[in-house]
Amino acid sequence: MAEEAKFKCLRCNHEYTDSYDPDKIEERSCPKCGSNSVRRLKEEASKG
Amino acid sequence: MTDVGRHPRIELLTYSEVAATTGFVGNFNVTVRRRARYVDEKECTACGDCLEVCPVVVPDKFNIGLSTRKAIYQPFPQAVPSAFVIDMEACLGHNPIACGKCLEKCEKECIDYDMTDREVTLNVGTVIVATGMDVYDPTEQDEYGYTRYENVITSLEFERLINSGGPTEGHLVRPTDRRQPERVAFIQCVGSRSQQRGKPYCSNVCCMNTVKDSLLIKDHWPETDIKVFYMDIRAFGKGFEDLYQRSKALGVQYIRGLPGEVEEDPATKDLILSVEDTTSGQLEQHRADMVILSVGVEPRRDMESLKGLFTLSATSDGFFMEAHPKLLPVDAPTRGVFFAGCSEAPKDIKDSVTQASAAAARANILMSQGRISVEAITSVIDPEICTGCAICANVCPYHAIIADKEKRTPAVVIEASCAGCGTCAAECPFGAITMRHFEDAQIIAQIDAILEEDPMEKIVVFACNWCSYAGGDFAGISRLQYPPNARLIRTMCSGRVDQEFVLHAFRKGAPLVLVSGCHFADCHYIDANRWTQRRVEKLWDKLEREGIRPERLQLEWISAAEGQKFAKVMREIEELRKAVTPEEVEETKRILTEKAKKPKKKPKKAKKEPVEVAKT
Amino acid sequence: MDDGNHGEELRIGVYVCDCGRNIAGTVDCGVVTEFAQGLPHVVIASNDKYTCSEPGQEVIKQHIREHNLNRVVVASCSPRMHEPTFRAAIQQAGLNPYLLEMANLREHCSWVHINEPEAATRKAMDLVKMAVWRAALLREQKELEVPVERKALVIGGGIAGIQASLDLANAGYQVYLVEKEPSIGGIMAQIDKTYPTMDCSI
Repeated sequence: MAEEAKFKCLRCNHEYTDSYDPDKIEERSCPKCGSNSVRRLKEEASKG
Repeated sequence: MTDVGRHPRIELLTYSEVAATTGFVGNFNVTVRRRARYVDEKECTACGDCLEVCPVVVPDKFNIGLSTRKAIYQPFPQAVPSAFVIDMEACLGHNPIACGKCLEKCEKECIDYDMTDREVTLNVGTVIVATGMDVYDPTEQDEYGYTRYENVITSLEFERLINSGGPTEGHLVRPTDRRQPERVAFIQCVGSRSQQRGKPYCSNVCCMNTVKDSLLIKDHWPETDIKVFYMDIRAFGKGFEDLYQRSKALGVQYIRGLPGEVEEDPATKDLILSVEDTTSGQLEQHRADMVILSVGVEPRRDMESLKGLFTLSATSDGFFMEAHPKLLPVDAPTRGVFFAGCSEAPKDIKDSVTQASAAAARANILMSQGRISVEAITSVIDPEICTGCAICANVCPYHAIIADKEKRTPAVVIEASCAGCGTCAAECPFGAITMRHFEDAQIIAQIDAILEEDPMEKIVVFACNWCSYAGGDFAGISRLQYPPNARLIRTMCSGRVDQEFVLHAFRKGAPLVLVSGCHFADCHYIDANRWTQRRVEKLWDKLEREGIRPERLQLEWISAAEGQKFAKVMREIEELRKAVTPEEVEETKRILTEKAKKPKKKPKKAKKEPVEVAKT
Repeated sequence: MDDGNHGEELRIGVYVCDCGRNIAGTVDCGVVTEFAQGLPHVVIASNDKYTCSEPGQEVIKQHIREHNLNRVVVASCSPRMHEPTFRAAIQQAGLNPYLLEMANLREHCSWVHINEPEAATRKAMDLVKMAVWRAALLREQKELEVPVERKALVIGGGIAGIQASLDLANAGYQVYLVEKEPSIGGIMAQIDKTYPTMDCSI
């Protein structure tokens, strides 16, 4: 099932939370600038 | 239509859909799912005996719900094949106790409630995608009252009303009182040419369709008052202007301005249109007995599955993307696949027929040769280095690599199935795979050439042939200007971009690296670019561990149609490049060079394998 | 640079195309050609108005024969546009088509840096250098030939699918026409009369 994870855009530095399914690889784009350079911040995710 | 039904070389598979495909140009293997008709298509003579006894009545889809049909039905009288079908969702008869009347009545015993869906496999050399379009649903444009006022109908509903085979046998009547309308108003561009609602493009067919409809009405009922509300009339085709002038000469009024609102007079059910005539600047009100919304054309909502099956993509308008908008307008980017009709863009009948013949000719060119050569860009595995770990077989989107993890025998590439994405070569931990024509050394040489002089000024960009590189081409064709610092290295797929390429670029002093490919839905190698994303994510972690800012490695999915996005990304990464300091780059070079000097943790395993390859 | 010349003396020819004013209007093609001449293994560098034209291709073919070229770099438009053209040209002169490399000076340079001619020229030189370094490492490739099934699948039985099916069947191929609905005809079958002939659709 999908859980929540923190993401950071490596283009505009915007950080946000979004649903995340560890079994699925999805195309992500930053809700602020639209870039695909979106990195999941793992430390945050492991708390969930 | 009937020609198709009786042609000895055409096998008609109606009520069917493509479910799966494998293979490649010249040798597609296609699985088609044939839905159960519950009526034997070959035996049924469409005598109609079953119709008389069927007790179920449902809205008739062919007449857009303007009339009804039975649960057992023929879509329309001229249907091909000329056979009935049971709508099982409406039919009571799955349980013979409940009904089963048609089964009893049918003398030829064509009806079989137990018929099931089945799959057939076809081997074909070429594929023509002629999946057509959907018609815009004007419900969201509430100011026209389509769902509130019965006398507001769409142009397709009008086609059924005026058709002698339609629900009114061709008598034009308005829905509320079945009276023949004396005043008819057409509203153009409903769902077209709007940035807000519907689609931004021109649907191509609606102007001429309205001109034609006005002529049909004038032909049958010359006294009818017809007004057409439009923003432009586009009558550019052969003979079109002539029809438009004929329509005007017959007294059809063309009023330049789209109504802001349509209201119903509750007493008479007449409709009042409020409009600004933009030629005079006057605000006007017009009364009509019936309003026809000239609705636009949309990409089919069910085209997603076909995109995946044949690795096709769509242009920004949502229709299928051709290999080249000008020079290969009929070819799909996937070799051996062609487009005909509205699947590629809105078209009228003549243009659909023209493109269909062109598609047939293109397919003929491929098939008439009997043999074709496949590009030599395939992967080769060195059995001397391969450890048989089977990672390559696992990542290959085409199942073109045979490997046995248990036996640990060297993996083998099936050349004819290999499409050449290069993901295997990028993922092989032992460097055992060579991608022909996109070898490691060839790509490293390009990186070195970029960074030999003034590396601080340059951005190393990896771009895939089909999408992001093509997006760059499109930016060029559109003359979109962006900073001149990026240098593109073309690979067939972003899946080819080995993490070593990225590290090498940083080691040689690149301030910034961009890896770019197709959007997930557009990947020309099924799903190879998922591995690109995984690899970039791993690289971000690795860079961070080494003390290198992960921001210096950027990732972007850019389609061939996204010239605008390409230029925007180029501007954005140039800003990022400017923020990278020479000290930072020197530090990166030092870290990565030291790292490279240390012995690799993956020594080539000299493992014993049952060698079948003859050695000299 | 790795001299991995696969055991032969490398002899590269570079062809810089003006594309009329399309490239030469922004990029100084003379400077780029001169620069190419100085790159390792480049035997000859030449500048043409339209390299893709018949005479332009003829120059390449002639040079391959006269100078024993074994690699060709064409610096012109996108390889997505003219790679097949130049592959065919060098093949006619006896070279393996995979020994061609292109530098995209038009779509990726002159057209997108119209107001920065100097930077565009520097970029063009880089693109040519990249192509030459890569070309030095290219190998001959043999294309695989596969048989073609002489059957076609047409998906969709509207007017377009019907026409394509009939054309292909009449040309002698087996055609499978797959239609989602119980009958072929598509949207066209729902239309009464059709323009421009104002006749019946079915």
